[in-house]
Amino acid sequence: MPEPLSEPPSAERIVQLEGVRKDYRLGAVVVPALRALDLTISRGEFSAIAGPSGSGKTTLLNLIGCVDVATAGRVTVAGQETGQLSDRALTRLRLFQIGFIFQSFNLVPVLTALQNIEFPLLLQGGIGRAERHERVRALLARVGLGDHAEHRPGELSGGQRQRVAIARALVTRPALVLADEPTANLDSKTGGTIIELMQQLNEQDGTTFLFSTHDQQVIKHAHRVIRLVDGQIAA
Amino acid sequence: MSRLLLIAARNLLQHRGRTLMLGSAIALVTLLLVLLTSVSRGVQDTMLRAATTIATGHVNIAGFYKITSGQAAPVVTRYEPLVKWVRQEVPEARLVVDRLRGWGKLISPTASVQVGVRGVDIDAEPELARVLSIVQGDLRGLRRPNTALLFAKQAEKLAVRVGDTLTLSAPTVRGANNAVDVEVVAIARNLGLLSQFNIFAPKQTVREIYLLKRDTTGAIQLLLRDPSRAAGVAERLRAGLTRQGYRLLDAQAEPFWMKIPIVTREDWTGQKLDVTTWRDELAMLTWILTAFDTVTVVVVGILLVIIVIGVMNALWISIRERTREIGTLRAIGMGRGRVLLMFMLESGLLALGATTIGALLGVAGAHLLNAARIELSPGFAIFLMSDTLQLAVWPRAVVGAAALISGVITCFALYPAYRAARLRPVLALHDVG
Ligand SMILES: Nc1ncnc2c1ncn2[C@@H]1O[C@H](COP(=O)(O)OP(=O)(O)O)[C@@H](O)[C@H]1O
Ligand SMILES: [Mg+2]
Repeated sequence: MPEPLSEPPSAERIVQLEGVRKDYRLGAVVVPALRALDLTISRGEFSAIAGPSGSGKTTLLNLIGCVDVATAGRVTVAGQETGQLSDRALTRLRLFQIGFIFQSFNLVPVLTALQNIEFPLLLQGGIGRAERHERVRALLARVGLGDHAEHRPGELSGGQRQRVAIARALVTRPALVLADEPTANLDSKTGGTIIELMQQLNEQDGTTFLFSTHDQQVIKHAHRVIRLVDGQIAA
Repeated sequence: MSRLLLIAARNLLQHRGRTLMLGSAIALVTLLLVLLTSVSRGVQDTMLRAATTIATGHVNIAGFYKITSGQAAPVVTRYEPLVKWVRQEVPEARLVVDRLRGWGKLISPTASVQVGVRGVDIDAEPELARVLSIVQGDLRGLRRPNTALLFAKQAEKLAVRVGDTLTLSAPTVRGANNAVDVEVVAIARNLGLLSQFNIFAPKQTVREIYLLKRDTTGAIQLLLRDPSRAAGVAERLRAGLTRQGYRLLDAQAEPFWMKIPIVTREDWTGQKLDVTTWRDELAMLTWILTAFDTVTVVVVGILLVIIVIGVMNALWISIRERTREIGTLRAIGMGRGRVLLMFMLESGLLALGATTIGALLGVAGAHLLNAARIELSPGFAIFLMSDTLQLAVWPRAVVGAAALISGVITCFALYPAYRAARLRPVLALHDVG
């Protein structure tokens, strides 16, 4: 049922998907990845998208993360409808509102941990060097890597790299942090500590987290679980 | 953004092998270009020095006087006001002199040679003392009338020494031959081709042979502070002379003596002026420079194509290897412009570094080659007007070579960099499972 028009766009609602469909085209074949999906994420949530491989978790996160646009339906992130935005506007939206944590960490290999974390602040501009470094160092300490500021990704373990990636995602104080299977490339013990770290950051700062996983151990940390089956939310 | 520069630099270091290989190739081509332009410039300088000593100014005002339409003398009548005007009109000239031009037979008891006779006022041309290297006698002897300076090769051929007397015989404008005796007062070292066919004599002697009046000369010659300005100055003089009411010959890139038969056939009388540059007067020789420069352009062009392909290829590889990195940077909020900049910086740094090293090596190489005093074979020596290979390192050409090669590489790097900038951020999340 459509919502009444009188309701103001809630500040509590960071993400809203209405009737979203996403098809992939492989030559002549159309692969439906998401079908008629409705979803709302509120500020401060710590939610998991669960589902088997191929169920559409990555596709959903791509749409919410503004790195891809829906085939049909409406995706609203931080009050902006992404289907209407130019590449430049989408880039700005990602830079200022969203933090990304990737399954394969995706750090810039030639930059140190500190420089990797600092990078989004440089992209944003307008923050002095001293303040930047203070923020980065504080984050490094919070993710338990105070002594590893000058290490390059190649010199860090998988768990440490993902901690750097978490710090990079948080350094701009985004409204929303997206993580696509953040523990999939880590052993279960390290994965557990990573999820606990994310949870801690959510509790302390109220940052909204939305992560996908198919690991039961990880799912149980989530406040809310969105179950995907064949591109649809299961009841 | 300095962080992008850091990423570019570190990526170059990361792939040391690739960077070194490409960098060496770029440096090598730069070195080659610097050396070749230095050779060309060196040859041009030597030619110019010899030619401006013997045969031409950087710019000349010469011309022909026709008493009847069937006769043409290579002279400028009433030249003195012209000289004054030229001095005012061309402040960039460091020397304005006039010389007489003749062509005659030089006869000794044992032999004779055909020579061009350059009638000079030795005191008005301090340059001559500097450039001619006198092996016997004294240049100042030319202050006396009926004297001559010969080049070594001619003296050898005629079997004469300083102090000997020769007969100079020349056809006058009116057709009859006229002869004067001249004393050899100095013998100078050969200066290549031109020195085989020219001698110097006092102006008065040349006027006597040709029965010319005092207000008549052969050519007003200008030496410029910057010889590369010659064409522009010639253009200005042409316009100025036309405004002054002088009649001018059409510009033609030929030495004056090639023009005599043409002008003789033309149907006019009186004075016409002709403005030429040293390149026109040496048109027979400058083809060497043109040929050399053409070869340089072709060789460097081919090498540049190879290098550009190499650099583009390396960029494609780099972009393919870093697809996920680019996607990630786009995902976390880096704009397309900055992705483009990042890859342009990478190729730009490589090009700039390598061309700088290549240019420095080229300059060093040119100095080494000069120090080695490489002998030219006699044939080349005649054409290039020097016994040894002379390279002239011209800072503007060196910087130009490096800038050109960097520029070309950077231009062609634009396309791969542009394609990288168009990569979609969604690529960052392409994980299996
Ligand atoms: N780039 C793509 N091109 C074509 N099909 C794709 C592409 N990405 C995903 N798909 C398909 O879309 C469906 C959902 O994929 P995905 O969102 O990656 O699921 P998950 O992340 O849950 O494994 C799958 O059937 C997958 O094969
Ligand atoms: Mg996935």
